[in-house]
Amino acid sequence: MRLLIVDDSNIIRGKIARALGKYGLTIAGLETNGREAVERFREARPGIVTMDLTMPEMDGIECIRQIRAIDPTVRILVVSALTDKATAISALMEGAQGFLGKPFSEDDLCDAVGELLRGNHG
Amino acid sequence: MLNFELGKYRKMVVAIALFLVFDLGVLVLSFAISAQIRDDAIDVNLVSRQRMLTQRITKTALQLEQRIKNNQPYRDHLLELEQATSTFDKTLQAYRSGGMVPVGDGKEIMRNALTDKNARQLLDDTLAQWESLREVLHGMLRANPISPNLAASVARQTEAANDRLLAATNNFTLRVQELAESKATSLRIVQVAGIALAVLNFLVILFHFIPNLRANDKELQRVKRETDNILRTTQEGLFLLDPDFRMGSQQSRALTSIFGSQPQPGTDFLSMMRPLVSPKTLDTAREYINLLLKHDVMEKLVSALNPLDRVEMTVNNDAVGVDTRYLQFNFSRVVEDNRVTQLLVTATDITRRVRLEKELKDSEERAQGQMSLLLKLLQADPVILKDFFKVATEALDQINHILETQAGQFENFASKVIAIHRISHRIKGDASSLGLQILEQSFHELEEVLVGMREQKNLSGEDLLPVAVRIKALYSNLDLIQNAVNRMSQIRGVVSVEPSKPPHDPEIGKQAFVTQWRNFVETLAQRQGKSVALNYQGIDVTALPQPMRGAVSSIVNQFLRNALVHGIEAGETRAAHGKSPTGSINIFISENEEGDIELSFRDDGQGIDFNAIRAAAVRVGRLSPEAAEKADMRTLAATIFDPGVSTSKITDKDAGRGAGLDAVKDMVRRMGGNIRVGTTFGQYCHFRVFLPRSKQQHHVAIPALAEAK
Repeated sequence: MRLLIVDDSNIIRGKIARALGKYGLTIAGLETNGREAVERFREARPGIVTMDLTMPEMDGIECIRQIRAIDPTVRILVVSALTDKATAISALMEGAQGFLGKPFSEDDLCDAVGELLRGNHG
Repeated sequence: MLNFELGKYRKMVVAIALFLVFDLGVLVLSFAISAQIRDDAIDVNLVSRQRMLTQRITKTALQLEQRIKNNQPYRDHLLELEQATSTFDKTLQAYRSGGMVPVGDGKEIMRNALTDKNARQLLDDTLAQWESLREVLHGMLRANPISPNLAASVARQTEAANDRLLAATNNFTLRVQELAESKATSLRIVQVAGIALAVLNFLVILFHFIPNLRANDKELQRVKRETDNILRTTQEGLFLLDPDFRMGSQQSRALTSIFGSQPQPGTDFLSMMRPLVSPKTLDTAREYINLLLKHDVMEKLVSALNPLDRVEMTVNNDAVGVDTRYLQFNFSRVVEDNRVTQLLVTATDITRRVRLEKELKDSEERAQGQMSLLLKLLQADPVILKDFFKVATEALDQINHILETQAGQFENFASKVIAIHRISHRIKGDASSLGLQILEQSFHELEEVLVGMREQKNLSGEDLLPVAVRIKALYSNLDLIQNAVNRMSQIRGVVSVEPSKPPHDPEIGKQAFVTQWRNFVETLAQRQGKSVALNYQGIDVTALPQPMRGAVSSIVNQFLRNALVHGIEAGETRAAHGKSPTGSINIFISENEEGDIELSFRDDGQGIDFNAIRAAAVRVGRLSPEAAEKADMRTLAATIFDPGVSTSKITDKDAGRGAGLDAVKDMVRRMGGNIRVGTTFGQYCHFRVFLPRSKQQHHVAIPALAEAK
C-alpha cells in the first residue's frame, strides 16, 4: 500500500514516514501544502493519505475535497491538533475516515492506520 | 412492492391460510352443491312430469274420442293433447341432445343432454315407446276434421301404449332421481371432508402453534425482564438516538439521576443539551452525531472529536446547595443490515474522575511545591529553620490548647477564632520570610477558614472542627519538613555544631548592637564589593556582664571580618554557583541556666578550602609539605586558628594577616571555652563557640568537621 504524507511540519512528516515505513507502507510522497499534495496524489495515486488541516496555500479540508474527487476510494487519516473539533469534523464530512490528534505516539499512528486499512466501521 | 418477512410466523401464517382455504373450499362446495341439488331437483320434477303427461295424453285422447263421437265441441281437448304431446316430446329430446324445455307460463329452461349411460338407455327405451305413439298422435292432430273412427283408433293405440310408456318413463324417472341422490351424497362427503380438514387445521393451530406462541411470549417476557433489570441497575444513562436526534423509549433508570428527570421518549436530545453547553459546542455535537450516522468514518478513529466528552452541569443539591457535576456522553453506532440506523448513547457521571484528575494535578503541583520547598530548605540556614520549627510547633500547641479550652473561658467562640487567627498570622509571616511557601499557604488556608468564621454568627464548637483538621495537617507538614531538614543536615555533614536555639524574638534584631554589626558588615561588604545580609537571634548581648560582653562582641567582629573576606563570595560567583547573590550570615547567641554562653556563627559562603589551608600552612612553616598532604580535615581546620595562617592572597585592613582567628582562639582559651567548626566547601562555614561563665579552663577543641569538597 502506498502512502502520501501531507503536513507542513518537517518533524511530523519525518515521524509519520518513519513509523509507517516500519509498518510496511511505501511512501509515495511527503508534501507540505494542499496544492502540492493534490498534484502528487494525481501522479502517484496512493491508497492512503495522512492529512494535516492547517497548511499554507491550500488547507486540508479543500485538499481532502479535491483528492476524493480524483479517487473516492482513498482512505484519509486527518492528523491534526485537537484544538478545534469543529474543523476536524468538517474535514471528516468531506470524506476523511479517521482522526488522530497531535501529539501522537508511533503506536497510536500505527493503530489508527491499521484500523483505517481494515475498514472497520464499528 | 410488498415484501413481508414472515420469519418465525411463516408456519403459523401457512396454517391459518390453509384453514381459510379449507373453509372457503367448503363454502364454495356448499354453494356448488346447493346449485347442483336445485338443478337436479328441476330434472327430477321435469322427469316426474313426464309420467303425469303420459296419463294426461291417454286421458285427453279418450275424452276427445267421446266428444267427437257425441259430436260435441272438442277444440280445447285437442289443444290440451297437442300441448301435452309437445311438452312430453321436447322434454325427452332435450334430455337426449340438449335443448329448451317448457316449464309453464310460456317459459322454457335449458337442459343438457344426459351423460349417464343407464339414464340414456332408459331414455332411449322411453323414446322408442314414444316415437310410434307420437306419430299416431301427430296424425290425428294434423287431421281436420277428425273423424270419430280416427279418434277411436288413436284412443285405442294410446291406451295400448300407455302402460309401456308409463313403465319406461317411470324407470327413467327413478334413474334420474337415483343420479341426483348419488351426486348429492358425493358432494356431501366432500363437504364433510372439507369441514373435517378445516377443524383438523384449527386443532393444529390450537395445540401446536398456540403453545409455541406462549413459549415465545414467555421467552420474550424473560428477555424483557432481563433488559429491564439491566436498564434499572446500570450506573450509566443508556438510550438510543435516531437520525432526527430523538431519544428512544428504552432508557436506563440512571438517566433520571443524570438529567434530574426521566426524559420523555421522542425528546430532542440537542434541546436537552442546549442549557448545558455553549451554542458552538451544541453545533459541533450536531455535526459529530451526523458524522457517525451519515458518513463513512471509522467510529474508533473519530471518538477523540466527541465534543460532549466532558460536559459541566450545575445542579441544585438539597444537601450541599449548588453543586457542579461532569457528564460524559459516548456515542456508538447501531448497525442493522450494514446500515447505521441509530446511535447508542452512554451518559456517564464522571464527576468523581474529574475531581480525582484535579486532585492528581493539585498533588503534582504540591509535589513541585515541595521540591521548591526542599530547594528553599537547602538554601536556608538550618539554625534559623530549627528555630522556626520550634516556634511554629509551640504556636500549634497554643492553638490546640485554645481549641481544647472550654468556650466559657473565652467570651464566646468568636474570641477563640480571633485568638487562633492572631497566632496563625504570626507564623504565616515567619514562614513567608523563610520562603516556606507550602507552610505559608497552609497557614493562609487556615486563616481563610478563620476569616470565614469571623463573619459567621452563632458559632458552635462543631464549627471549629475544620480548624482542628487543618492544625493536624500543619503538625504533619511541620514534621515532614523537619525530617527533611534533618536528613539534609546529615547529607550536608552538619553534625553537632548547631547550638540550642534561643527563643524567637523578632524585636531583638532591631537592637542597637545588632545594628552595629549590620553597619560593620555593610562597610566590609562595600569594601569587598559584596552583598551580605545579617540575621541575629538570641539574647541581648549588651546585657551580658564583662568580660563576657567584650569577648562576645570581639569574637563576632572577628567572625564577621573572616566571613566577609574568606567566606562569602562576590555576587557573580554566588550566582554562578546557583546561590542568591546576597550572602547571609546568621548569628545565634544563647545563655543557659548557669550563665554559660553559646555563640553560633554561620555564613553561606564558600566554606573552608582545605587545599588553600594546606598551602598556607606550608607557606608559614606550620606544617611540612608531607605533613600537610597527610593531615586530616580536623587538623587542617585547627590550623586556621593558628597565628599567621591566612589563605587571603591580599593583605588589607580587613584580612590577610592571619591574626583574626588566632585572636579568637586566644580569647576563647583564656575564658576556658571551646570552638567547633563545621563546613562544606562551597556551601557554608559554621563556628560554634562555648564560653563558660565559670573560670574553669577548657581546651580549645576543634572537634567536628563536615565533609570537605
